[in-house]
Amino acid sequence: MVLVQYKPTRSVLLQLRRTRRTAERGHRLLKLKQDALIVEFFRVLERAKAVRSNLVEKYRVAEARIAIARAIEGSIGVKSAALALTETPTLELKTKNVMGILVPKINAKSVRKTIDQRGYGIIGTSPRIDEAAEAYENLVEDVITAAEIETTMRRLIEEIEKVKRRVNALEYRVIPELKATEAFIRQRLEELERDNFMRLKRFKST
Amino acid sequence: MELAAVGRDEFVQGFKLAGVRKTFSVDRDALEAQVAKVLDDANVGILILSVDDMKALSNTMRRRLETTPRPVVIAVGKREEEDLREKIKRAIGVDLYK
Repeated sequence: MVLVQYKPTRSVLLQLRRTRRTAERGHRLLKLKQDALIVEFFRVLERAKAVRSNLVEKYRVAEARIAIARAIEGSIGVKSAALALTETPTLELKTKNVMGILVPKINAKSVRKTIDQRGYGIIGTSPRIDEAAEAYENLVEDVITAAEIETTMRRLIEEIEKVKRRVNALEYRVIPELKATEAFIRQRLEELERDNFMRLKRFKST
Repeated sequence: MELAAVGRDEFVQGFKLAGVRKTFSVDRDALEAQVAKVLDDANVGILILSVDDMKALSNTMRRRLETTPRPVVIAVGKREEEDLREKIKRAIGVDLYK
């Protein structure tokens, strides 16, 4: 499709050629970025799949263990054991730059605890609570890893989609339109040149 | 920074047992308001939700959870997240999350 807002002059033709070259260079760079993002995505994908299936499995185990603890100690027993806890997992949330995208980098402390670090008495509670607490500590550890990896993957996907849209717009709309307009202006200029030439010839003959 | 868990009482109780202090036991009606409150808490680094609760949230809230730089939001459950799978399919063109 020819862009109508351009006048068929030589300076506009030069300007259009410059714009087209910039668009082509941008298109090439964006394609390279897209490829690099996809490579990075594949690198993260395998880890994400492994972490997610691990997380699902650990959640199942943790849920089963807390259900047993609740059945033996009662909901109040589990709640009171939870209230006795003094140490809480702390996080350090940083960001790192992957191909211009900011992805989280999480460092965690005090996720796993020993029985004496948990704060509730050993005599007053049953080992089922310990098992449930241990299962949930394992789960929290995996949640932290999964949070980092899945967020990285989500951001990569969003960026891939964004770059893909831009690449397609340049490839199928912007560059062809600029080329068509350039061709139209070139034809128009040639036509004017031929007109001029014929006019001059006619003058010369009279 | 700390972790936070929002959801049903049975869901958050386990996380409480693992030492997560910011646990909020709410029903489905109050879920969205509580999630919004946690998002405004500058001391929360990771927000844990259940997969079912995540699905029950409005589209606006889900979009906010996906795009917010902090806290990092993660859905935990017995099933795998379908949303992520769909996104991969749309971006790459193939279902790679099998």
